[in-house]
Amino acid sequence: MIKGPGGKLKIISLALAAVALLLMAATGVVRPAKLPPIKIGAAGPYTGDVSKIGLDGLNAIRMAVDEANAAGGIGGRKIEIVEADDAADPSKAILVAERLAMDRAVIGVVGPMNSATAQAALPTYQRAGLAIISQSATNPDLTEMGYKVMHRICPRDDAQGPASARFIVEALKAKTVYIIDDKTTYGQGLSDQVEPALKAAGVKVLRGQISMEDRDFSPILTRVKSSAPDLVYLGLANPAQAASLIKQAAGLGLKPAYMGGDGLKEKDQLIQGAAGLAEGMFVTSIGRDIREVPEAREFIRKFESKYGAMSVFGGQSYEAANILIDAARRAHADPAKITRANVMTALSKTRGYSGILGFPIGFDSKGDVVGASIFVYQVKGGEFVPVKEYPAVVPAR
Amino acid sequence: MEQLMAQVPQQIVNGITLGSVYALLALGYSMVYGVLKMLNFAHGNVFMVGAFAGWAVLSLFQRSGLIAVPALALAAMALGAIAATALLGAAIERFAYRPLRGGSRLAPLISALGVSIILENAAMLLTSGRAKTFPTELLIPQDAVVHVAGAAISATRLAMLGTSILAMVILDAIVLKTKFGRAMRATSQDAEAAEYMGIRTSLVISATFMLGSALAGLAGVMIGLYYTQVDFMIGFSAGMKAFTAAVLGGIGSFQGAVVGGLLLGLAESFGVLIAPPVYKDAIVFAVLILTLILRPYGLYGKPQQARA
Repeated sequence: MIKGPGGKLKIISLALAAVALLLMAATGVVRPAKLPPIKIGAAGPYTGDVSKIGLDGLNAIRMAVDEANAAGGIGGRKIEIVEADDAADPSKAILVAERLAMDRAVIGVVGPMNSATAQAALPTYQRAGLAIISQSATNPDLTEMGYKVMHRICPRDDAQGPASARFIVEALKAKTVYIIDDKTTYGQGLSDQVEPALKAAGVKVLRGQISMEDRDFSPILTRVKSSAPDLVYLGLANPAQAASLIKQAAGLGLKPAYMGGDGLKEKDQLIQGAAGLAEGMFVTSIGRDIREVPEAREFIRKFESKYGAMSVFGGQSYEAANILIDAARRAHADPAKITRANVMTALSKTRGYSGILGFPIGFDSKGDVVGASIFVYQVKGGEFVPVKEYPAVVPAR
Repeated sequence: MEQLMAQVPQQIVNGITLGSVYALLALGYSMVYGVLKMLNFAHGNVFMVGAFAGWAVLSLFQRSGLIAVPALALAAMALGAIAATALLGAAIERFAYRPLRGGSRLAPLISALGVSIILENAAMLLTSGRAKTFPTELLIPQDAVVHVAGAAISATRLAMLGTSILAMVILDAIVLKTKFGRAMRATSQDAEAAEYMGIRTSLVISATFMLGSALAGLAGVMIGLYYTQVDFMIGFSAGMKAFTAAVLGGIGSFQGAVVGGLLLGLAESFGVLIAPPVYKDAIVFAVLILTLILRPYGLYGKPQQARA
C-alpha cells in the first residue's frame, strides 16, 4: 500500500475535495437541469395465451421509440417505455393501468391491445387523464362510453361484423352459419355483430361458446356437425386455439368453410398451426396487410431482421406509438411543459397522419379512426391473399 | 331432438377417449393415496410436465428429421415423458413429502399445494407463458377418420384408447403378478404391518410415486397429441378431474379409478348435450359434489375409519 501524505497535507487535501464537491453540486443547481426523459406506457399481453401478438406489438413500439430517440427524442427529451403486461386479463389490466397512472412521467399509453383489457382499464386511465391509443381493441363500446382518453387506430367490430356478414352472404352465399365465440369481449362482441347482419340477410344462424381455457373442442364440434352448417364463423381471440379447433374438427370428419375475425390473421399460429387444414379459410382484417403498403417496407425489413416473422399487430403497434410520439411533439413548444393534458389534446387533433398503414389516420370526436377499410383475406397456398375490400362503415346506433 | 339423438354416438366416443385419459390420471392419484393416505395435489402438474417433456422430445425429432418415422417418434415421446415424470415423482416424494411423514396429516397436503405452484410457475417461466403446439399431423394424419354408427373416430383417438388400455394391462400385471406389486398392496393395506414383514416401505412408496407419475406423464403426451396444444395451465384442471374421477370411483381402488375416469369422461360429454359446452367443467364439479354428498366413499370404495 502506498503511504499517504502527512497529517497536515491530508487535512488540506480533504478540505479541497470537499470544496470541489460542493462547487460541483452548486453549479448543478445553477445550470439549467437536463430534462428528465418522457415516458410512454406500452400495455398489452406479454405473457399468457396471446403473448405472441403482444410481444410483437411491444417490439414494434420499441422500434418506434428507438427511432424517435435517434432523431432527438421529443424536443431533446429522451423517450422511455414503461412495459405494462396485462396478460390479456382484465383484472391485471386495471393493476398495470394504476401503475402507469401513478408514474407522473408517463404522458400517454400505447394499448391495451385487447378489448376486454381496454374496457376494464379505461376508467383508471380516464381518472388519471392519461390518453391511450389502442392498436387493436375493436369492441364498439370502448369509444361509446364517453371516455375522452380513448383513441384507436383500428376500425370497430360493428364495421367488421357487418362486412364479414356481407361477404358470407354475397360472395359465399351460405345458408346456415354456425358461430363459435370464446366469451371474450372481443370474440363474443364481434360475433354479436356478425349474427344480426347475417339474420337480416335471411341466413340461419346457430351459436355456441367455448372459453379461452378450453383445449378440447369435441363437445362443441359434435354439436356443429349435427347441424351441418355451410360455414363456421370463429369469433376467437387466439389464433392457436382456432388452429387447434380446426384440426380437431377434421378428426371428427368435419370440414366446413371457415371464417374468422382480424385476431386470427396470424400466419404462424393459424396457417402453420393448422397444418394445411386452414387452407381456404377466410379472415377479415381491420387494415390492409402492411406488406402491400410501400411505406411499410423499410419497417418490416428492420423488424424482421431483428425479431423474426412479424404477426398481425406489429405494424399497428408501430403506427400507434409513432402517432403518440407525434402528438407529444405537437403538445407544447417548450418540451419542459409537455403534460398528459396537452398530449391528449394534441392526440385528439391528429388528422391525416401518414405512416405505414396505407391510409391517412385521424380521429373523430369519439376517438375512433376515420377513413379505414375492412379487408377480407383467404388462406391460399399457405398465405393470406386479399380477396375483397369494404369501407369501414359503422351503422347508426 | 333428432339432432340431439344424432350426437349421441359421437359423444360416447368423445367421452370414452377423454375418460381413458382421466382413468390413467385417476390411477396415479389412487395409487399414491393407497400407500400414503394423502392427496397428491401436484399430480395434475406432473401431468403437465409430462406433456411438455413429450413436446420437447417431439421437437428434437423434428429438428433432427427423424420424425419421418412416426412410430419411433411416438414411442420416444411416451418413454421420454414417462422417464421425466417418474424422476420428477421420485424427487417430489423424496424432498417434499418424505421429510413430513409421520407429522400432521395436513403438512404433506400443504406441501403438495406448494409443489404444484412451483411446477406451474417454473413451467410458465420456461415456456415464457406461451402455448406449445404439437405438430400431431406429422405423426398421425389429422383427417384419418373411421366412421362407426354415425360417430367419427380419428386415428389419434384410436391410438389414445389403445395406449390407455395397454398401460392399464401392464399396470394390472405389475400390481397383481410382481413382488413389487404385492409389496405395494401390502403397504397400502397396512404400512406398519408391511414393515414388520420385512417390506422396505420407503422404497415401495418411492416406487409407487414413480409409477403413478409415469402414468400421468403418459396421459400428458396423449393429451398433447389430442388437443395439439399444451400450456402451463393445463395441470390445474387435469388435477381436478383426476381427483374427481378417483373420488367417484372410490379413492384407493384401482377398478374404481378406471370406472370413475370413464364415467367422468362420459358425464362431461353427455352433459354438453343438454347444457352449453362452455359448462363442461361445471358438470365435472357437479359430479364431484354429488358423489361427496350421496356416496362419499365412491363406487368401489369401502367406508373407512379415519386414521390418526
